[in-house]
Amino acid sequence: MTDSPATSIKDTILEILGDVLAEPVEALHAEPVLAVHAWDSIASLEALVLIERQLGVALDLRPYHAARDVDDLVDLVAEARGIQSTKARP
Amino acid sequence: MPKTLDTEYLDDTTNLIAVLRAAVADCRAPDPATRHALGRLDNPTALRTAGRVLARLRLDGDDLRPVRVAVLAPFTTGGFEHLLRATLIGAGTLPTIDVGAYGAFEISLATNAFDADGSPDVVACLLNDSYFRPARWSATDVPALVAHLDDRMADLRELVLASAQRTGATLVLHTVPMPAELRDGLVSWRGRAAVAAAWHRLNAGILELAAAHSQVTVVDLVGLLADVGAPSRDERLHSYADMPYTDEVLTVLAQQVRRVTQARLGLSRRVLALDLDNTLWGGVLGEVGPEGVQLGGLYPGKCYAGLQHAAARLREQGVILALASKNDADLVDRTLTGHPEVALRPDAFSARAVNWAPKAGNLRAMSETLSLSTGSFVFMDDSPFERGHVRAELPDVAVVSAAGDPAHLTGSLLQHGWFDVLDLTDTDRRRPELYRARSMRIEHSAAFTSSQDYLNALALEMTGTPVTGYTVPRAAQLAARTNQFNLTGLRYDETTTGAMGTDPDHLVAVFSVADRFGDEGIVGAVWADVTGPQWRIGNLVLSCRVLGRGVELAIVEWIARRAAAAGADQLTARYVRTDRNGAADGFLDKAGFGRPGDDGWCALQLADRPDTFPTWIRLRDDER
Repeated sequence: MTDSPATSIKDTILEILGDVLAEPVEALHAEPVLAVHAWDSIASLEALVLIERQLGVALDLRPYHAARDVDDLVDLVAEARGIQSTKARP
Repeated sequence: MPKTLDTEYLDDTTNLIAVLRAAVADCRAPDPATRHALGRLDNPTALRTAGRVLARLRLDGDDLRPVRVAVLAPFTTGGFEHLLRATLIGAGTLPTIDVGAYGAFEISLATNAFDADGSPDVVACLLNDSYFRPARWSATDVPALVAHLDDRMADLRELVLASAQRTGATLVLHTVPMPAELRDGLVSWRGRAAVAAAWHRLNAGILELAAAHSQVTVVDLVGLLADVGAPSRDERLHSYADMPYTDEVLTVLAQQVRRVTQARLGLSRRVLALDLDNTLWGGVLGEVGPEGVQLGGLYPGKCYAGLQHAAARLREQGVILALASKNDADLVDRTLTGHPEVALRPDAFSARAVNWAPKAGNLRAMSETLSLSTGSFVFMDDSPFERGHVRAELPDVAVVSAAGDPAHLTGSLLQHGWFDVLDLTDTDRRRPELYRARSMRIEHSAAFTSSQDYLNALALEMTGTPVTGYTVPRAAQLAARTNQFNLTGLRYDETTTGAMGTDPDHLVAVFSVADRFGDEGIVGAVWADVTGPQWRIGNLVLSCRVLGRGVELAIVEWIARRAAAAGADQLTARYVRTDRNGAADGFLDKAGFGRPGDDGWCALQLADRPDTFPTWIRLRDDER
């Protein structure tokens, strides 16, 4: 079975966030709310640069800064790529 | 298990990062092959990730040379620290990087805040357009805009020169790209040209700081960016976080700061070993003969000629050239001598290995003949087999590829700045000839049955002189570069050496040696505290080029005579073991010093000192 586009985006984002926040990816799975981690302006911009380069997108800073959790970031990237979000969130 | 010697494996950035993580986890320095791969890395994303991983590097051993770098900027530096760390570790150093507080650029320079725990080796002063231009400007008053730029440049000049005066660090600055807002905000071509001219003058003013103070180095970032195919600014990050440069630009800056740091630490390479066929000329000499090789004229011959001229210019600046070619030696000689387009004649090479033996062994033998470690070699060859073999056998050698389109040859050789130095000394310029004489000297030695006969026949002369403004850079260079005969490992930098040289309580002297094969130039230096009846040697260094000739004993005699003449009764010195200065072990005993006291210091009683002066050296006391 191949991963859906959103799953592979999520994996890449989790890997980047793990690197930037110096936390294991499992910790982000367990607690995806960014504010719980060291998500300050420096970390968020560092992650932005990496997300844009590795996933080949350009994001608008306003919704990026409004992102609350990992899935919000995945949706932003998916949207920028023109992929229909697969989220099944309330 | 990663194959760390397999360069293709390491050229995949995912693998490289994995190898770096493993090194960090094991508290060990990345091995030379990994460091070279890191040094070749110019992908900002991968370099930044590598820097972040390496931020956690804690070492058990001392494989890497410690270096302290301070970073000052009137803006947010973003990923610069990570990029700089990665590239510095790639260069074989272990950096401590201290990034100054945001908004404190001018106050840090004005107070030398970065010197709080002693001078760092390098202070990177990053600049951006906002530092120079007014927040608001009118398109109808271009002269006011130009006057503002001039004023800001004058402010910067004053700050930088005053700071350089008070620190021992090397300050690195750079030119600044003109912002699009200034260029495009004007609609008249004449006005646009006037502002661009003012901006170019501003950059010229920054570049001129390098001539105004020996501790200031300036990188022409604007020129470098012409070769970087990426935007220099991300407007979102600029307006949101005051980050004026993209990671592409910061990577260029980090690489340049790394090059200056390498030069400052004396870690530059000194030998360029070149292959012949399809490197210095096109074609295989053994197949096409001297008349058939591609050299000079139109493409591709002009590319090979271009590489020869580039190598000849490196030689003019002190790089030792060596030949490493699997070829027939006579045929090579005939071609180098007779081909009209050859820029590197036989006497351009200080060492030659033209034979059919493996090149790694040849390079190792050359390193012994020249008394220069393989870590000071750059090897350029078109054959992936030869490059791979040398990389595997001699991981310290920097390997440059001459494969592919010959149009890239000169760029491949020069782009990494392997041979960068802060300043050229007279000895640098003469080095290739000195090493050629050395090779001849070794051939000469084979004719003697004992080393004593050989030394007598050399007719060695040594001259000692207190340092002057002309010789301080060479003394500091010796302190930075000498590892084997380095008595205490203390590396006095140029500023300290200059200050000690003019202080009556200190003596810094340099020693030059000549023999029947030529003048070696300045090969040794000593730093001493000369107050009172007891003179203390802070350090004594001697180039490995002259080891084994008793020059170190002649240096002791030179100092002892001066100390006795000044009324001192004792000369003291100590040997401090480092990981590489075994050559100086036992020297003090041989020179007549007593056994070390509890504090490690040994004393030489001047009045009844034993005669250890080598009979084959003539001492010329060249006082000025």
